[in-house]
Amino acid sequence: MEFDWTPEQDAYRERIRTVLARELPADWDHIAVHGPGSDEQTAFSRKFCPILADEGLFVPHWPHEYGGEDLSSWLHFILGEELWAAGEPRGGQYMNVNWIGPTLMRYGNEAQKQKHLTLIKSGQVLWCQGFSEPSAGSDLASLRTKAEPVEGGYSVTGSKIWTSYAGHADFCFLLARTSSEGKGAIVILLLDMKSPGIQVKKIPALIGEGDIHEVFFDEVFVPEEDRLGEEGQAWQIITGALSHERIGIPRYAFSRRTLDRAIERLKESGRFDDPVVQDRAGRAIALCEAARLMVYKVIDERSKNSPANAFGNLARWSLIRADNGVNEFLTEFLPEGLLGEYPMQQAHHQRAIAAGIASGAAEIQLNLAATGFLDLPREPRRGL
Amino acid sequence: MDFEPNEDQTSILDGLEQLIASLDTTPPLHGEIASWSQLLDDTVAEAGFLGIAREEGFGLLDAALIVERLARLGISCEAAASAIVAPGLIEDPALRPVALASSINAAARFLPMARALLVDQGEDALLVEVTPDAVEPVETLFAYPYGRLKDPGSLPSTRLTGQGPLLRRRWRIAIAVESAGLMLSALDTVLEHVKSRMAFGRPLGSFQAIQHRLVMTAEQAHATLWLSRQAAWRDTDSDAAIACAYAQEAVGKVAYDLHQFSGAMGLTTEFPLHFWTYRLRALQGELGGSSIQARAAVAPERANALA
Repeated sequence: MEFDWTPEQDAYRERIRTVLARELPADWDHIAVHGPGSDEQTAFSRKFCPILADEGLFVPHWPHEYGGEDLSSWLHFILGEELWAAGEPRGGQYMNVNWIGPTLMRYGNEAQKQKHLTLIKSGQVLWCQGFSEPSAGSDLASLRTKAEPVEGGYSVTGSKIWTSYAGHADFCFLLARTSSEGKGAIVILLLDMKSPGIQVKKIPALIGEGDIHEVFFDEVFVPEEDRLGEEGQAWQIITGALSHERIGIPRYAFSRRTLDRAIERLKESGRFDDPVVQDRAGRAIALCEAARLMVYKVIDERSKNSPANAFGNLARWSLIRADNGVNEFLTEFLPEGLLGEYPMQQAHHQRAIAAGIASGAAEIQLNLAATGFLDLPREPRRGL
Repeated sequence: MDFEPNEDQTSILDGLEQLIASLDTTPPLHGEIASWSQLLDDTVAEAGFLGIAREEGFGLLDAALIVERLARLGISCEAAASAIVAPGLIEDPALRPVALASSINAAARFLPMARALLVDQGEDALLVEVTPDAVEPVETLFAYPYGRLKDPGSLPSTRLTGQGPLLRRRWRIAIAVESAGLMLSALDTVLEHVKSRMAFGRPLGSFQAIQHRLVMTAEQAHATLWLSRQAAWRDTDSDAAIACAYAQEAVGKVAYDLHQFSGAMGLTTEFPLHFWTYRLRALQGELGGSSIQARAAVAPERANALA
């Protein structure tokens, strides 16, 4: 057991920081404040991701056969930490490289891999995930969007909601069902968002511009070759994909960086002399450090090829606490950050208020940890 | 980064486990508040476990793993001060048990059986050599034996010049490490209870309202565990302050919820929960409590004045 970075890991982090210092423009804070789904950040990501790719920092964690470097779990996570701490200049493309690409590698056929992995690697393509529906959020299996089998494929009708990045997305990782019967009827379709019959409606939100949408499907034809995996296999695929996402975002890194900047500002203005402010700052730092170590425990297990377990759900709760703890501190002691003075503080606020909702609600994480980690008995299902 | 014990650590912990298995570690269930075990204390000390950080090739993290394991027992011994705090401050490893205090007049844990008392005096530390007859016991709800020096000025003492910061750093690490072990065992005790105790025809632990709060407690216990281990590994002022601040802040919620889910049973001394929670409660206020540690984490230059 040890808690030091290796010289290789230190050097890798430094290499990423050097690239970011060189490539992020002087007005990056003002771009990032619009949010990862915004026009501004999406346009920036289309320029930035190819640069990352040229530097070997876009898909280095992918296997060699798909153009990566088989980067270790730790180095991959260091990359994620540095990019998220910088305000995530990959925009919505972080999702492509972290879980959509790896899911396609595992379950896609050769044609799908050839088509999509090549596009994702180029840093020019955007995906959205068509999961949540008006009546299926945390209870994902109750989704109703229909994928009616027709000659040569499926006819998709229904709607999705809260869909991040849909306004700019080229493809959608869509869940729909071929019949009303259970999880086995769900299929995953790699839907071309230019297909006729799709309407995307932006939902104005507190969490940034263009970040969440409603997507309507009206008899959208999806060819059979765009189905991922076999019929009946979708739930297994999606469960595996989501387990990657549970702690996929190192949120504490952005929280800690934003907090450190705030402390410097409070020191400059003399407000940090107040012991109450020091007390609250110390507690916020402790939450960030706790989240970092809880997540590192998961990464350590991943690096040793241990199967994913419910400790990840526990770590996710730590991430939420850290984001909220820092957000509370900033909002109370540096409110000018939400009055236009510090764009990155606003960006942090907008990410923090979604921390317990995006990627699986906090309460779902607590449920999963209760039964999976603490081995508590399941709550009995109530009959009607 | 490696979150698994290495071969040496595994071997040490295996040895400790064998030693624990050879003893009766059942806490007394006859209305006792504290659970001091002279036998446990003598046995782990004689076996050399508490001096591990003084040995070539080993360090504070190895000591922390031992302290954490011993804290999980329902009976207690003086481990944290001897294994984590004393190295670097007390030359003779046999001069123990060690008590820690922020004032020479204060009631301190383990003082009734201590041979040494380390006192935080700001820039300096004071090492007082103690004999049992120099101590009057103090009755308390805290589940440790407590005592106070009858006549502090009459005892031989040595000023450890400039060692105050080291004392506080190690003490903070010790509080965090011991808290982690205590929280985990307290949690285990309550998990066993809520899995077997039925209400409204189903186990208490199947109610979501209880499940969520127990998961939150587990998160705090495990976060304390990893923060304390990192602090022991790094042995820096800021890591020590962060780990201790987190642990002391967590105690309130952890202790409250675990007693809450034990119902009236948890308010009795027949249910063993207090052997862990009332050790935690004792640690909650040491070195000034969580606010002092939180401020030390962000303003280390003020740590001396704060403490």
